[in-house]
Amino acid sequence: MRRSKLLLAIAVSTTSLFSVQTVLAQDNPIDGITTVTADTLLNPPDGDWLMWRRTYDGWGYSPLDQINQDNVGNLQLTWSWGMSPGGTQQTPIVHDGVMFLQNSDHTIQALDARNGQLIWQYQHQLPEGVNPAGERAMAIWGDTLIVATRDSHVLAIDFRSGELVWDTVIADYTLRYANSSGPIVANGVVVQGTTGCGQAQPGGCFFTGLDAATGDILWRVNTIAQDGDPNSNTWNGVPVANRFGGSAWIPGSYDPVQNLIFAGVGQPYPWNMEMAGLLPRSADPNLSNEGLYTNSTLAIDPNTGELKWYHQYLPTDSLDLDYVYERLLIDLEVDGVMRQTVVTTGKLGIIEAIDRMTGEWLWAQETVPQNVVLSWDPVTGEKVINPEVIPVIGETTFNCPADPGGRAWQATAYSPRTGALYLPTVEFCSNTTVQPLDPGQVYTGGGRQTYARVPVPDSDGMIGQVRAVNLTDQSEMWQYRQRAPVTTSTLPTGGGLVFVGTLNRTLMAFNDETGEVLWESPPLINVLESFPITYEVDGRQYVAVGASFGNGLGRLISLTPEIRRPPTNPVAMFVFALPE
Amino acid sequence: MPAPLSSPRAVRLLLALALAVLTAAFWPGSVRAQEPEFFDVPWAHNQWTFGTPLDMSHLRYCVDPRDPDWEVAAAIADTIARGLLLAPQRYVVETDVAVTEDITRIYAIMLQHCDLHMGFKLIPEGYESWISLTRAYYQSQYVFVAADRSITALGDVPRTRPIGVTIGTSAHLGLLSYLRTHPDAQRWPIFPMGNDDLALEALLNGTVDVALVWAPTLWARQRAEPAYAALEAISPNPVQPVGFGVGALMLAGQSFLRSAVDEAIAALIADGTIGEILEYYGFPATARP
Repeated sequence: MRRSKLLLAIAVSTTSLFSVQTVLAQDNPIDGITTVTADTLLNPPDGDWLMWRRTYDGWGYSPLDQINQDNVGNLQLTWSWGMSPGGTQQTPIVHDGVMFLQNSDHTIQALDARNGQLIWQYQHQLPEGVNPAGERAMAIWGDTLIVATRDSHVLAIDFRSGELVWDTVIADYTLRYANSSGPIVANGVVVQGTTGCGQAQPGGCFFTGLDAATGDILWRVNTIAQDGDPNSNTWNGVPVANRFGGSAWIPGSYDPVQNLIFAGVGQPYPWNMEMAGLLPRSADPNLSNEGLYTNSTLAIDPNTGELKWYHQYLPTDSLDLDYVYERLLIDLEVDGVMRQTVVTTGKLGIIEAIDRMTGEWLWAQETVPQNVVLSWDPVTGEKVINPEVIPVIGETTFNCPADPGGRAWQATAYSPRTGALYLPTVEFCSNTTVQPLDPGQVYTGGGRQTYARVPVPDSDGMIGQVRAVNLTDQSEMWQYRQRAPVTTSTLPTGGGLVFVGTLNRTLMAFNDETGEVLWESPPLINVLESFPITYEVDGRQYVAVGASFGNGLGRLISLTPEIRRPPTNPVAMFVFALPE
Repeated sequence: MPAPLSSPRAVRLLLALALAVLTAAFWPGSVRAQEPEFFDVPWAHNQWTFGTPLDMSHLRYCVDPRDPDWEVAAAIADTIARGLLLAPQRYVVETDVAVTEDITRIYAIMLQHCDLHMGFKLIPEGYESWISLTRAYYQSQYVFVAADRSITALGDVPRTRPIGVTIGTSAHLGLLSYLRTHPDAQRWPIFPMGNDDLALEALLNGTVDVALVWAPTLWARQRAEPAYAALEAISPNPVQPVGFGVGALMLAGQSFLRSAVDEAIAALIADGTIGEILEYYGFPATARP
C-alpha cells in the first residue's frame, strides 16, 4: 500500500514536472520572436530596444510611460543575472520579450526578458593575448544578432537558435586592431568601426561595411586621409605609414532619408603633436596639420562607402579629447529656420550642432568647466586653442577637463517630451606631463602623456553631474550635482523620467523637467558603467542596467577615494519594474 | 656559454642570499597599512584562479621573444638563479600579438608564471606603483642608424631629410627637446614609427635617412637578417645619446626577493660573469657596477 502511494506520488510529480516544462516551453518568448525588417528598425515597437541608442536618430529615448514620476518610487528589483568576469560597457538588445546580452568574453546570451531565464548562449573564443573587455553595443537584423568582437571579427548569430550564421574577420588582431563597440545596420549594411590604431597600424583606423545577409565586406572608409585623398596633405608631410589614431570606437547614427551614416572619429596618436609629427607646422604652403579626419563627424553612404562630407571639431588635438561620441539627429529651429541637425558633444563638454544635410556648422554651447578652447568663430565653429594647455616636453601643463573628458563614452540622450539633451558630465582637470613610456620593447604603457587628475580649482567637490540643456535655446534647464561621478549614459523616458547610474553603485531616476531625484536603488553589486535601457513585455515595463567596472569613468575614483569598488570586479545585469 | 659564478667568496655570498630568500618565502607577509586604491593595481582576467606556487626551490622568470635581448636576458636569469642556489624556471611568453602591449598585461603573466620578467628599462618614474624593478644587469642605449656609409654622424644629415623615430621613447623626447632649441627651418622632419622594426624597415626602403632605435633591436635584426647587415650605428653628435640600465620587473610586494636578486646581480657584475655573457653574444651593452 505504501509502495503504491509512493509510485502515485512519483507519477503525479513527474506529470507536474512535464506540465511545468510544457508551460515553460509554450511560454518561451523565443518561440514568438519575429524577424527584424528594415521597417522594424525604422519604426521600432515602443517595448523593444533594438540598437545601441534604441532608434536610428541616436536619441536614447524610450516612449514607455508605465513607470512614471508618480510611481517610480515603487520601483523594485525584479531579476538579476550574473555575467562573465571582465569589465564591459554593454547595452542589451530586447526584441519581442527576449533580451540579448554580450558578456566581456563574448559569451552571447538570450534571456527571457521577464525573468532572466537563459534561453541559449553562444561563445566566441578569444585568442590568447586579447583581453576580454566586451563591446558597448550589438545590432539586430533579419533573424540575426550582429556582434563585433575584440579580436576584430563581426559575427551574425541566429537569434532563435544561437547558431553562427557568418563570421567575418575585418582586421588583424595581432596588430592590435580591435572592435570595442558594436555595429549599426543601415539599409542592409553592417557598419563597424575599428579601434586600437595607436602605434603600429600604418594609416590609422577605418569603418567597414559588410553585407548583413552574408558578412561579405563591401567597403572600407579610412578615418585618416590616405594618399590620393584631397585631405592627405593635412598631416604636415608625415607619410601615411606614419599617421596613427583616428579610432572609430562608438557606433554612428543613421538618417534613412538621406541614406547616410553619421559617425565620429577619435583623436590622432600619439597625443603629443610633436611626437606625432604634426608640430611644428611645416613651412610648405601645400601642407597643413589638422590631421583629418580625426575628431570629425563623417557622413557615409552605407551602401557605397562614399564619404559625402565631414566636419572636424578639434584639429591637431594634443590632449586626447575625442569627438567620437554619439551623433543625435534632431530637427531644431536655428535663427528662425528649421534645420535638420547632427548634435554631438566631445570630451570638452561643448555641445555642437551641424546641419546634417550639408555639414554646415550651426552652434556650440559649453557645459563643464574647460580651459582648452578660448573661443570659436560664430560662423564656422573654428576654435581658438589656449596655447598654455598644449603639452610641452619637459613641462607639466594644466588642462580642464582631463583625458576621460567632461563627458566620456556614457552617451547623452534627447527627450522629445522636454526638448532637452541630458548629459552625464564630470568636472575635473589634469596636470599633464609628456613622458617617455618605453619600458619594454612591446610593453609601452599608453599615449606618451600622463594625466594626473585633479579637481577643478575652487571645486565644490561635486565631481558628477547630470545636466539638462534645452536645445531650443541651449539654455540649462536643470543641473544635478553630486560627489560620485555619473557612470552610465542617460535614459529619458515617456514617463517623464531620466535614469542614470553612478560610481557609487546606485541607479537613480530624476524628474525630467526639474531634476528632482525621485528614486534611488540600493547600492548594487558594482559600479554602474553601461548604457541602461527600458523595455516592455506582456504589458509590463522594465528598466535594465549593467553593473561592472568597465575601465571608464571608474578611473575617477582617484578623485573620490572614499567610494570603494569590489576588488573582484563582479559583473551583472539588474532589471527593475513596478510591483505586479 | 660562460660558466656560472665560481669564486669562493661569491659562492659564500650567494649561499647567504639563497638562505635569506628561502626564509623570506615562508615568512608571513606584512599587513599593508592601507589597501591600495583599485586603480593602482591592474586586474587580470580570472586572477583568483591562478593560485600560489608552493615550490620555493625555483626562481621563476619570464622572457619575451619580442624583446630583442631575450636570449641574453634568459642566460643572465639562469645565472642569477644558480647564484641564488635556486633552479631556474623559464617561461617564454608566447603570443600571436606582434606589437604594443599595455604594460598591465605583465601583471597577469607574472601572477601566473614568474617572479622576474626580464627586459625592462630603468626609467625614472616610468612605472606604476604595483611594479618594482631590480637593479640593472646591463646598460645599453638608443642609436642613430644609417644605411648610407657616407653618413658618420647625425650632424651630416641635411636638415631637410627625415629621421624615423620610434614613438614615445626617451630618445624620441631627447631628440625633440634638442630640435626645440632650433628654428623650425633647421629641424629635421621627424616621422613617428610604430616600433623599432618599422623604423629600420623605413631606413632600408629609403623612407627615412636615419632611424633612431634601441641598440639591441639593431643587434637582433642584424643577427637574424642579412639585409640589415649594412646598417651602421652613427655618432649621435650633436644630440646627446640616451641610454638606460635594463633590469627585471617584479611585483612591488616582493621586496625581499628583489633585494636578494639585486645583490646577486651586483655580485655577478663585479666578478665579470654578466660581462662575459654580453661578450659571448656580442651584445651592444655593458655591465657596470
